[in-house]
Amino acid sequence: MTTISKIPVGASGRTASRTARGGSARPSRGTGGPLARLAGTVLVIGFVVPFLFALSTSLRSPEDVAEHPLALPFHPTLSNFSRAISAMQYPRSVLNTVVVTGGSCVLVVVLGAMAGYALGLTTLGWSRWAYRGFMLGMGVPLFVFVAPLYLLMRDLHLLGTTIGVILIYAAMNLPVAVFFYTSFVRTIPGELGEAAQLDGAGRLRTFFAIYLPLLGPVTATLLVFVTLMVWNDLMIPLIFLQDPDQRTLMVNAYSLLDERIVRPTDLFPAALLGMAPLFVLFVLFQRRMVEGMSGGGVKG
Amino acid sequence: MTAPRTQTRSRTLLPFTLPAVGLYALLMVYPLIKTIPLSLTDSEGGPTAENVGLANYRAMLDDATLLSALGNTLVFTVVVVLAQSAIGLALAAMLRRWGGYGKALAVVLLTPALLSSLMASYIWSSLYQQDGAINSVLNAIGLGSLRQVWLAEPSTALYAIAVVHVWMSAGLAASIFAAGFRTIPEDMLEAARLDGANRWQVFWKVEWPMLAPSLTVAITLSLLGCLRVLELPLVMAKGGPANATNTLGLQIYRTVFANGEVGYGTALSVLLLAVVTILVTAANALLRRREGRLL
Repeated sequence: MTTISKIPVGASGRTASRTARGGSARPSRGTGGPLARLAGTVLVIGFVVPFLFALSTSLRSPEDVAEHPLALPFHPTLSNFSRAISAMQYPRSVLNTVVVTGGSCVLVVVLGAMAGYALGLTTLGWSRWAYRGFMLGMGVPLFVFVAPLYLLMRDLHLLGTTIGVILIYAAMNLPVAVFFYTSFVRTIPGELGEAAQLDGAGRLRTFFAIYLPLLGPVTATLLVFVTLMVWNDLMIPLIFLQDPDQRTLMVNAYSLLDERIVRPTDLFPAALLGMAPLFVLFVLFQRRMVEGMSGGGVKG
Repeated sequence: MTAPRTQTRSRTLLPFTLPAVGLYALLMVYPLIKTIPLSLTDSEGGPTAENVGLANYRAMLDDATLLSALGNTLVFTVVVVLAQSAIGLALAAMLRRWGGYGKALAVVLLTPALLSSLMASYIWSSLYQQDGAINSVLNAIGLGSLRQVWLAEPSTALYAIAVVHVWMSAGLAASIFAAGFRTIPEDMLEAARLDGANRWQVFWKVEWPMLAPSLTVAITLSLLGCLRVLELPLVMAKGGPANATNTLGLQIYRTVFANGEVGYGTALSVLLLAVVTILVTAANALLRRREGRLL
């Protein structure tokens, strides 16, 4: 058992799960039986039924849906999607969202990695306080400081600018980034950096040549976390961006909302289109995404 | 390595923290500190504001909408935290028996967490509406008498929204517990079984105590997510009907941005911070103490 579990089957998590399964698959009462499996599968599928239903309904005409809400798309049509695409100004919104998300990711990673590098290697001076200060900011909801932030952005003339929104996201995600990077840098043997320094490499070169490459995996996890948070956020762009041309996907999708008439054939395609780019990433980088979503759990 | 050398080494590191510290201090620490003085004024966002002392805080006591918002937030939080943890734990316990297949199902469970609150609201608003899927299903299976306009009925609206939150986050709770299950040494379970413990006994006597750290993480995160909830009730019910889904976060948003009462809204922010800090700290202290007892 122990030897098997040491064979690197890819991610360490996967290896561990094999070990755990090895034992618990055995218990006598047929809980691992095909019937239980079927029941479990049905249960899990129950979680994605809303998606499947949304997809199926999106492919039907509004009149058809009004008449038979639960029917399947016997005469599939893409007209709901094309309507949603133009109503949300989809290409433009996606581009705006990509710029905001990308900008935030770059800033969070660069600033977070630099700070984490320093805070992971030293406990001198005010570095301890800086670290504590970052940690206190983890999990503070936007609405605790939104009013002063709004006035500050106004005074800095950053209201209604993409760069302003990017800076807000970066600041709000720095605690998580600093936490990720500091913890990670602490696990890297200090001799590595010291050897480079003895060879005459400066601080910056040590950072770029030794540490930065090692930070790859933790950066990937962080990127997933930040991307999800920024992409899906409605409130910050809703409050801080006014110009329709700058609006992100979520804000433009939100503007479709009409409280009086809830039309599934309007809302379902909008929801699916809003999620689509993330879903593609999820499928492509499944393992990283899962790590980022659950590991990013430290977020708040 | 001599002490002075370490000192220099560290000092040359400090500049690396400056960009992060600067940005963080400007856009988070400063507004956070500014919250207190701003909450003591009658500011409406304009250049001038009178200092009104504690008037905003006194006004809270007479604000019936605020009290109901506080109540709604707490009910929502309790319901979601319990349901999310219980469902997450049950799912993790079930899926872990099936190895790779269980892992694949766990990934499927995470897909709702990809959705934004807005998009989830869109999907569920449609499902909940009068002639939507949920009522149609109830009708089809002969439970037509249970039909509701879920989001328009004050007694069901908050719970209907809680269901959406649980739906989105149960998969995350499941992966937190799944990680916890993986840390339990196999020989411990084996020993319990050899002693003749049945599955329930193994769970309650061995696994449940060993999962204490996972429970701490799951509950803390869930708590943080719930106390700030705002987008779901905003999009699905505009805080209504009859303020039944008005939460503290939503109340702040409306006070500041719809009514322009910056001073009062900021005082509400201070209240939100206090609620979050007290509940999260208390829950954490209790759960950590529990970990200490059990492990």
